[in-house]
Amino acid sequence: MKSSILIVSYLWKDTWKRWCEQPGSPLARLWITALLVMVATVILTAFQLVERSLQQRLERFGLDTLLVRQAVTPDSPRFFRHGREADELASLGEMGRKLRLRQLFTRGQTEWSGNNLPVFTYPAEALPWLAEMLSTQTEAICASDELPPHTQLHVRINHRVILASVARPPNWLRALSADDFLLVPQGWLPDEEQSGWLETTVFQRGPTAPPMDQIIAAVNALSSFNQRTPQIQSALPLMRELEELRRRHQQWRAVLAGILGAAVALVYGAIAILEFRQNLFVGALLRSFGAPTRLLYFRHWLENAALANAATVVALLLISVLQPKILESFSLPTVPSQDPNGPAAMVFLWVNFGAFLSSLPVAAGLRQPVGEILS
Amino acid sequence: MQCQKVSFRYRPERPWVIEKFQHTFRPGITLVKGASGCGKSTLLRLLAGFLEPQQGSVLTPLGLAPVDTHFQRCALAFVFQQLNLLPRATVMRNLELAASLAELPSTRIAANSAHWLRVLGLDACAERLPESLSGGQQQRAAIARALVREPLVLLLDEPTSGLDDLNTRVIVRALQAFATPPPETEPPLPAPRICVISSHDARLEPIADEILDFNRFLPLERHLEALV
Repeated sequence: MKSSILIVSYLWKDTWKRWCEQPGSPLARLWITALLVMVATVILTAFQLVERSLQQRLERFGLDTLLVRQAVTPDSPRFFRHGREADELASLGEMGRKLRLRQLFTRGQTEWSGNNLPVFTYPAEALPWLAEMLSTQTEAICASDELPPHTQLHVRINHRVILASVARPPNWLRALSADDFLLVPQGWLPDEEQSGWLETTVFQRGPTAPPMDQIIAAVNALSSFNQRTPQIQSALPLMRELEELRRRHQQWRAVLAGILGAAVALVYGAIAILEFRQNLFVGALLRSFGAPTRLLYFRHWLENAALANAATVVALLLISVLQPKILESFSLPTVPSQDPNGPAAMVFLWVNFGAFLSSLPVAAGLRQPVGEILS
Repeated sequence: MQCQKVSFRYRPERPWVIEKFQHTFRPGITLVKGASGCGKSTLLRLLAGFLEPQQGSVLTPLGLAPVDTHFQRCALAFVFQQLNLLPRATVMRNLELAASLAELPSTRIAANSAHWLRVLGLDACAERLPESLSGGQQQRAAIARALVREPLVLLLDEPTSGLDDLNTRVIVRALQAFATPPPETEPPLPAPRICVISSHDARLEPIADEILDFNRFLPLERHLEALV
């Protein structure tokens, strides 16, 4: 029989018997690796979920959308209940789509599920932009992603009840509210307008317009010239937040990978050295017959790699089963990751690197002359 | 097998264990005897290539240095003083493993194993694990494992240490058969073969073709140290 088969068979038997005699040794390695892998994967996945959530917010808001809000109170010189005051942001209309609305300081209640709708009023000149949302029955629009489109529903606003038609909002209007909202023509709610409103301008940048940061700078300059301090909302902070998150994600990946690799290398290395010392004489005996040193080294490396990979697979399987439940219990979104294998691939890479590092002391030990070991 | 001005010490700060040792080991049995700590076992390890001399050189019958892998695999067999057998393999598997590393064909391994187990009185122990054998049986199994490899150079470190006369007689008979096989030996053994035994057991002296008293290489202080 070929010598290498006999040696491999003996080494496998030796390893298996050792595991059976001292189950703490493989179990400790499996347990520690699984625990580390679970912690690392949960952290990495949490980062991915936050990233995904931010991306969704970004997609909802739109990269080229700008929202400018300014409170108009009854004592404000800009308070015109009937008719329109001069539009400071009129020039934005040349650079893309612009809609000027009033958000009232009141909310609408629907007959379904007690929705609490923000109420916006629109001027007649906004009709072209809202045409696709309008129905023939009513000019009030309930913009909703949840309710069935074209449904007629009654909305109570204080003591008034108005009929609204449900429509899907175009993407550029989604920036107005994260939830459903109501659009009614100006003049329909004169009592509510008495207490003022939020002058709200939604702008979507056209393809030939200057970059968004320049537009924001221009709006800021204009506002400061007019001694106004509007609230300006755009996707830029979200994008910065996303970039920051991605940067931190990368850093955490590196740190976790380092911790995982180092921990696996240290734990496995310590156990490998102990077991190598316990088997030092047997290894030397095999070498004295002429057994290849690389085969003896390979046995230690393979043992560590097999245990580390087995623990990683178990940990990842556990995570895939437990993760949705854990996220659900913390009210976190369970959206599927864009790169579900990303953390797993990285974890496998570093676990194997750690297993390789842990076998290096054994390689060093195998360089000791047989004559010194057996003396 | 030649030692040419071989000097060795385990650490640079320690004294020489062997200093400028020069000798040619001829075919047959050479008994290296001497006081404990005189360097007998170290000499055997140097001859096997398990240690490398700091000065001088060792030349094997193949014309190679003993650290050469081919020499260690195919031409050398070494019997250590203790812990000689792989604990998780049966006696037969120990023999097969050692012989297969010497690149012998399987038919030859089987014939050699049967022969040496019979000569050493271990026929009944072939399928037993080392832990179930007595000290004498373990030592005989270790010698069988060395002989089954058909080595050109056989090195034995205190092979009969602590063994009774019966075990020693069996081992002596096997070593004689190895060193000077009768022409009808089956399977035929290659010649010439060098057998070097490190021992202070006087029972081995009758079979030695040459006795090398290692004490004479020791300085006076080391004699006194050994006596103390």
